[in-house]
Amino acid sequence: MVKYILRNMWRRKGRTFLTVFGIAVGIFALTVLGGLSARLTQQVNGARSWFANSISVVPSGGSLFGGGGEHFFDVATVGQVHAVPGVKDAVPGIGLPLSTDQGFSFGAPDLIIGLGPGGQDLLKQLALSGGRLLQPGDKGKTVLGSVIAEKLGATVGGTAVMRGVTFEVIGILRPTLSAPDNFAFVPYVDALPIFLQANPFFQQKQIASVIYTTWNQGVNPEALGARIARQVPGVTVITPAKAEQQISQFSLIFNAILFGIAFIALVVGGLSIINTMVMSVSERTREIGLKKAIGAETRSILAEYLLESAAIGLIGGLIGTGLGLIAIVLLNGATSSKQVTVFAITTLVVIGPIVFATVLGTLAGVFPALRASRLKPVESLRED
Amino acid sequence: MLALETRDLRKTYGEGEAVVHAVDGINMSVEVGEFVAIVGPSGSGKSTLLNLLGCLDLPTEGHVFIDGEDTAALSLKALTRVRRQKVGFIFQEFNLLPVLNALENVELPLRYQGVHAKEREERAAEALREVDLLNRAKNRPSQMSGGERQRVAIARALVTKPALVLADEPTGELDTVNTCRVIEIMRRLNDELKQTFAVVTHDPMVAAYARRVITLRDGHVSSDEPQEATPVACD
Repeated sequence: MVKYILRNMWRRKGRTFLTVFGIAVGIFALTVLGGLSARLTQQVNGARSWFANSISVVPSGGSLFGGGGEHFFDVATVGQVHAVPGVKDAVPGIGLPLSTDQGFSFGAPDLIIGLGPGGQDLLKQLALSGGRLLQPGDKGKTVLGSVIAEKLGATVGGTAVMRGVTFEVIGILRPTLSAPDNFAFVPYVDALPIFLQANPFFQQKQIASVIYTTWNQGVNPEALGARIARQVPGVTVITPAKAEQQISQFSLIFNAILFGIAFIALVVGGLSIINTMVMSVSERTREIGLKKAIGAETRSILAEYLLESAAIGLIGGLIGTGLGLIAIVLLNGATSSKQVTVFAITTLVVIGPIVFATVLGTLAGVFPALRASRLKPVESLRED
Repeated sequence: MLALETRDLRKTYGEGEAVVHAVDGINMSVEVGEFVAIVGPSGSGKSTLLNLLGCLDLPTEGHVFIDGEDTAALSLKALTRVRRQKVGFIFQEFNLLPVLNALENVELPLRYQGVHAKEREERAAEALREVDLLNRAKNRPSQMSGGERQRVAIARALVTKPALVLADEPTGELDTVNTCRVIEIMRRLNDELKQTFAVVTHDPMVAAYARRVITLRDGHVSSDEPQEATPVACD
């Protein structure tokens, strides 16, 4: 049966090739964008878990990745936040770009994050691949995210030079495929001088760009966030729910593009398969009549044409996905020197487009196959 | 025992003034093992009759009995089953599938009967041997002459050992030599295997080799006579 269907497809090589190619192009685009979306999802999920465990308090107008901007507040604010009932701990943090001439980066920027006393508790949710976390009293030491560690060629026990300052690397985090991979955590006391050196005209000498706030057990973080916003002037409060919202918006647009491409592939590919199959059916009207004359059931004709249509989809899907994966590997290879991974290959990225194309082919075949199976033997045999 | 019987068989096309009685009340029967030629001028209803006999078309009125089974009351699905199990078809244009080789073409009806692969191949090879084409088993129709193609089609009609083989102008597209060859094969299958044949033809040479000739005129049977069949001698 399979052999027979492949032979039938081979009868009109040119036409079959063009149809398969049409599907392959759509599926190629779907695969590449799927890889992009999968990578984004990994980052979003990682960011989600990172931001789910603390309330980020930033200066008014600041945002989630509030590092390196022009918004800062006095360290005294930390005390005010800490005084709000329900707050367990408030840790001053200061975020600095790792490199002063950073161009465009995909996803989270590379940041030096200076964490005040108590910051080690925040890091506890991140697993170490080696070494230890920061402890109170540490100075000149750093815990590196996996991507930064690789970028700097750093190992536990070695040193890393960041913004002209040499740090001892005491720990390296496991890859989370999200924001913390691009963070270098240092004690607040080390980050502050770097900041002040870069901004010599800054008046205040004790500043923070973010206050990581944790809450006592049983306290609703959303309600606590509202309370902080009321009681502490000049701050924007990003609660886990708000962070979630900001992050989701980020990925929503990409998924919209992905669905758009899928939809175009669906319409264009589907129509071209329908066209091809309708032509095949009308060319083979006599053969269908003959088969019915010698005893083929309606459903066996139906199955034959559905399978042929599904096969066009499947082959187009295999080719398109194959080319898409090659493109992803090449593109990731081209950007790997910058330690940036733009595309992810997950099971869904590989299997999804193939299944999609096959289902598309099958659905597109329904109309032509029904047409074929409903032909009357006498009339079809008379056809030239 | 009857392989085929019709009772008051009618087929009309069109309505009112334009109505055409293509088959207009035909009563006939064919015994198992007979070789019948159905002849008549163009438009006498030969092909329409053959389509009705083969359950390819539905009569307007009347009955067709195949192997004793009344087909008038059957659903389209059941008619498909009758064609699959009891009837073999030979067409003027051979109607072989171009993507299948000779053996696969002959296997096709067995495939629809659900016969499993090994037995299918054995029986198809046996049928090809009957038409003396086993050496061409792996050839596609495009690699064969018209005579060879029609012999493959005969093997396909025969492979299910049907109660009845219906042939519609089987030699219409063949030269004299191949016509003789095809007749010779059909006659031999009729003699040796007692295979029943009903052959629509307007070729006098084919009609001459039949043991009985039914003549149609305007949808009626105008004569139905047994005859002394001419012995087949090709070359």
